[in-house]
Amino acid sequence: MVNRDINRIIGFPAKRVSTLIILLFLLLPQFSFAVENEKYEGVLVINPGSELWRDIRQRDNSLEGTSQIKGVDNHILINSQGDRWARFRVNELVSYGTVALVAITLVLLLFYMIRGKLGVEGGLSGRMVHRFTDYERIVHWTLALVFLFLAITGLTLLLGRTFLIPILGQEIFSLLASASKEGHNLMGPIFIVSLFMMLFSFVKRNIYEKGDLTWLLKGGGLIGKSHVTGGFFNMGEKTWYWMVILVGLVISASGVILVSPNFGQGRIIMELSHVIHVGGAVILIAVSIGHMYLGSVGSEGSLEGMKTGYVDISWVEAHHDRWAKECHENDMIITAENYAKLQGKTAADASELANAMTEQGK
Amino acid sequence: MIETFIDGPLWYFSLAVFSIGVVWQLAGIGFGKTKIDLSVPRDSAASGAVKTLFSRFIPDKHMAPQINVQVVAGYMFHLGLFALLFFAAPHVSFLEEEFLGFGWTPMPHWAFIVASQFAFLGLIMLWLRRILNLVSRLISTLDDHIAAILTFVVMLTGCLTLLEGFTALRLLHRFSVELLLIYFPFSCLMHTFTFIPSRVFTGAWFGRRGVGS
Repeated sequence: MVNRDINRIIGFPAKRVSTLIILLFLLLPQFSFAVENEKYEGVLVINPGSELWRDIRQRDNSLEGTSQIKGVDNHILINSQGDRWARFRVNELVSYGTVALVAITLVLLLFYMIRGKLGVEGGLSGRMVHRFTDYERIVHWTLALVFLFLAITGLTLLLGRTFLIPILGQEIFSLLASASKEGHNLMGPIFIVSLFMMLFSFVKRNIYEKGDLTWLLKGGGLIGKSHVTGGFFNMGEKTWYWMVILVGLVISASGVILVSPNFGQGRIIMELSHVIHVGGAVILIAVSIGHMYLGSVGSEGSLEGMKTGYVDISWVEAHHDRWAKECHENDMIITAENYAKLQGKTAADASELANAMTEQGK
Repeated sequence: MIETFIDGPLWYFSLAVFSIGVVWQLAGIGFGKTKIDLSVPRDSAASGAVKTLFSRFIPDKHMAPQINVQVVAGYMFHLGLFALLFFAAPHVSFLEEEFLGFGWTPMPHWAFIVASQFAFLGLIMLWLRRILNLVSRLISTLDDHIAAILTFVVMLTGCLTLLEGFTALRLLHRFSVELLLIYFPFSCLMHTFTFIPSRVFTGAWFGRRGVGS
C-alpha cells in the first residue's frame, strides 16, 4: 500500500528522468564523434609514410628511381603489375586451365560412351598401304614423347600448389617441383628441334587444298551420315598439324624468353610471356588429348599408321578417299600375307593373320 | 638410413661388380681360344685392323640413306654422353674427390645444357628407331631395351638434380648409376670397351685375307 503511494507520487517524474538519461547516453558518442571530426578537419599535413608507400608501389604515377646496380627494372622497388600477374596466375590460369583439361576429358569419355570406337564400314580388309616412313614416325614420336614430358612437368608446376600439395605435402612437392623445373627447362629446346623436324617432314602434305572445307562443314563426319572426303591428310589432321606448329612456335618463343632472363627483357615481358606460354600450352594439351583419343581407342585402324607405317586400305577409303584413289591407281596395296611377312611373321602366322583380318572385314 | 646405404655399401658393391665384371669379360675375350689361321696371308693384318678401326666411324656409302638417322643420332648421343660424363662440373669434382685426386677444367653450364640436350635427343631417336624400324625391332633383344632405358634414367635423374638442392634427387641419381654399373658387364653396354678390339679383330681377320672391309 505504502509502495503504491510512493510510486504514484514519484513514478511519473522518475520515468521521465530515466528516459532522458538513456537518451543522453545514446547520443553522447555521436556528439563526441562530431567533435573529433571537427578537430581533424583542419589538418593539412598528409601522412608522409602513406605518400612514400604510394610512390614505392607506383600506384598513381610511374616514378623513376635510381640504383647503383645497373640492369633492367632495377630502379623499381615493388612491381605492382607483378601482384596482378600473380593473382591472374592463381585465379584465372589455374582455374580455367583445370576446367579446360577436365572438360575435354569428360567430353571424350561421354563421346566414347555414346558412339564407342569409330569403326570402318565393312571392317578392315587386311590389305595394307605404306603411309609413313621410319623417319616420319621417329619424328612424330620424338615430338610426342618430349611434349608429354613437358606437359606433365609443366602441369606439375602450374597446378601442383593447388592439387598436389594437399596430397603429397609441401616437402615432397618442393622436390617434385624442383625436378620438374629442371626437366622442363632441359627438354624445352629438344621440343623446339623436334618441332622444326616435324615442320620440314610433313609440311608439303599439310597444305590446304580443294575439298578440305567440305570436311570441316561436315564436322569430319560427325555431323550427318554422308561420307567426308579427304586427301593424304584430311582437314582435321591438317588443322591439328598447323596448330602444333604455330602454337608450338609461340610456346617455344615464350619459353625461351622465360628461361633466359638475362637478355634484357623486363618483368612485364616475362609476365606476359608466362601467360602466353601457359595459355598456349593448355590449349595444345587439351587438343592433344583429343588427338591421342582419335589416334588410338577412338578410331579403328588409326594407330597402325604411326606404329608400323602401314594402314588398312579400308581405313584409307573411309577417311582419306582421295588418297585411296591414288593408292589403287598406283598399285600401292599389299596383301595381308605380305604385310604379315613384312612384320616378321612366319608364312603360317601370316596366313593365319590374313584369314583373321579378312574374317573381321566380313 | 637409405642415404647411408646408397652412398656406402651399395656404391662399393656396384663398383666392384662393374670393375670385376668388365675385367672378367675382357679377359675372356683376350685369352679366349682362337682358331689358328694356317692360310698364307694375302695382305697385312695390321693395316686391315687400323683401316677398319677408323673406317667404321663413317657409314658405308651404300648403306648411308638407310642409316642416316641412326648415324647422326648415334653421334649426338655418344658425344653428348661423353662430354657429360667427363666434363660436367659435378662429375669432375666427384672424380677428383673420390678417385683421382686431381681434376680438370669442367664445361661451362651452357655447354653442359647443350651436351645433355644432344645426348637426350640422340638417345630418344635411337631408341625410337630401334622399336619403329622393322629390322631393328626384330634383331633387338630385351637387353638392348633395358640398356637404353637405364641409360636414359641415369641421364634424366642427373639432370633433374642439377640444382643440387635436394638430397633425395641426388640419391635417386646415384642409385640409378649403381643399377647401371651392376648391369653393365652383363649387357650390350660392354660395347663401350669392346668396340675397339672388335673392329681391330675383324679388320685384321679380313686384312690377312686381302678382303677390303
